[in-house]
Amino acid sequence: MTAWIDGQAVERDEAVAAAAALLAGARGPVIAGLCAETAAVQAAFDLARAVGASLDPAAGPGLYADLGALASGGAMTTTAAEARGRADLVLALGPAPWASGLLADLAAEAPARGRAAGQPRTLLALGGPGDGGIQHVAYPAGEAGLAAEIGLVRGLVAGRIADPHPLADLAARLRAALYAVVVYDPAEIGALGTEMLNGLVKDLNEVTRCFALPLGDPHQGRAVTQVAAWSTGQGPRVGFGRGYPEHDPWRFDAARQAESGEIDAALWLASLPAPLPAWIRTVPTVALLGAPKGDEARVVIGVGVPGEAFGAALWHPRRAAIAWQEAGSQEAGSQEADPIRSGAPAAAVILADIQTRIPAASAVSQPESSASC
Amino acid sequence: MSTLTLREAPERLDLAGLDPARFAGLSEADAARVAIGTSRRGLTLGDCFTISLDGSEELRIVGATDRLDRIGAGLAAGRIVVEGDVGQRLGAGMTGGTLTVSGSAGPFAGTAAKGGTIRIAGDAGESAGGALHGAEAGLDGATLIIGGMAGERLGDRMRAGLILAKGAGAHAGSRMIAGTIVAGEFGDHPGYGMRRGTLVAARHGALLPTFVETGRQDLVVLKLLATSLQALAPEAASLLRAPMRRYGGDLATLGKGELFTPAG
Repeated sequence: MTAWIDGQAVERDEAVAAAAALLAGARGPVIAGLCAETAAVQAAFDLARAVGASLDPAAGPGLYADLGALASGGAMTTTAAEARGRADLVLALGPAPWASGLLADLAAEAPARGRAAGQPRTLLALGGPGDGGIQHVAYPAGEAGLAAEIGLVRGLVAGRIADPHPLADLAARLRAALYAVVVYDPAEIGALGTEMLNGLVKDLNEVTRCFALPLGDPHQGRAVTQVAAWSTGQGPRVGFGRGYPEHDPWRFDAARQAESGEIDAALWLASLPAPLPAWIRTVPTVALLGAPKGDEARVVIGVGVPGEAFGAALWHPRRAAIAWQEAGSQEAGSQEADPIRSGAPAAAVILADIQTRIPAASAVSQPESSASC
Repeated sequence: MSTLTLREAPERLDLAGLDPARFAGLSEADAARVAIGTSRRGLTLGDCFTISLDGSEELRIVGATDRLDRIGAGLAAGRIVVEGDVGQRLGAGMTGGTLTVSGSAGPFAGTAAKGGTIRIAGDAGESAGGALHGAEAGLDGATLIIGGMAGERLGDRMRAGLILAKGAGAHAGSRMIAGTIVAGEFGDHPGYGMRRGTLVAARHGALLPTFVETGRQDLVVLKLLATSLQALAPEAASLLRAPMRRYGGDLATLGKGELFTPAG
């Protein structure tokens, strides 16, 4: 069995019908998680448009720290592959980069392309735990925290803060580098810190080359951002309640909506692993899960794991792009063929099936005319 | 005086543009058909409110809750009085008139407001007078008076105007382009990334390492500001008359902003 209602195993068809009924009858449905292959995320946006739902990816908070800074002031970013090829200086901000595996790769090589080719690569750490196995120069972060330290470095780089300073050497190295890369986790430094970092990078580009390299989230957030952009022209937190996509990062935060009682039904899409939100126990929810137990939500439907059970388009962190992954190619968590999972259909198929069963009367039929409000 | 009395708010309701000028030409029956819902139910004003219109310059909204978004958004003239709480984006983009709220406001009160006066008797949520996602500016010339505490990022990216508050959370005046904020207290790291603008507080949390003290200052401009605020907010006025210590910042960015706090 790959479908459950109230924890009881049922035929998949019955579960899909229950899911459609739940969403069709809801006043404020939300489709959240979106930790899935691109085709399933696209199907989720299509379903949201049909039932007037809002959307919120599991990657939301960290993703919006980056998107907010990008929308406010722009960003000059690079990819992990470009950093490996070109960077003669890498600055790792905070603890998160040390847990990513990226720094070990960067430390093992030297720039082979571009203006820094043939130079050694230096690794700097600001406020990170470091790693005894990776040679680096460590600068401690002060009590004020990472966001404040980024501001300090920016002030030093621009010459607005006087020189005898513990971070003056770090600022001098950034200015002297031929191709510097600053690795950071937007979730760790926040929206304000990210915007300040983008400002630092832009300032440095007055005198040399420097790029920001955000660590991706593990929940397909970057891919969801692209699907949202081509589907709605906006960011991922959109709502279709009025028949057209409205972007509102505050209003369509699923956790906020659940807490304030604004949503009365939800669909949680996670064909790849993602932590279940606390509200899944209080809001009537349909969960499409790659690794279901059956009791996670009111209706649970098992779906195939992309890149494992079937080939799928997924976020590729190294290329910083959506890329095809063949079946059985997923590196993390690949396991022996599981007969239950391998028989499960793709989430996109289930979502399309749910959408065909939404009665036309409950679908959003008339986009609001511009004169009405 | 026209009155809208809320009967129920089963979902977030969008009241943008519903001001005395809009109602001036509408019958109560026409007003009842104005769409305010945010779900596919297509709720109208008449579905949620009891409507009484008399064509006057004052609109009273009674029984308001934090689900009522964008009250007074785009207001150009006249007066809106709200009894109760309001949701997000109170007075967004307003250019004139007055807006008063007896309770508390959600996030982004006064965002992009170019003129007029907003008074909130209670607290305000995050980014009061602050910029929306990707927006050019927060408060942009209007006056925003908060009787209670404001959340984080008060006046975030504000470009012009005046904010008065009893207190504010962390990062007051973040990314400020210009304008003035006077409060009883700020949380940690006021003025993060501010380019220009003036912050004044009786007390504050931790200061950023990119703010530097520039000494005790006895500036005529602060006395003039005190005089202009006397009628509006006597507490703010008396704070401005105290001898002040000045900090310049944020040196991470342009560094032409300033933070004043009593020297005593």
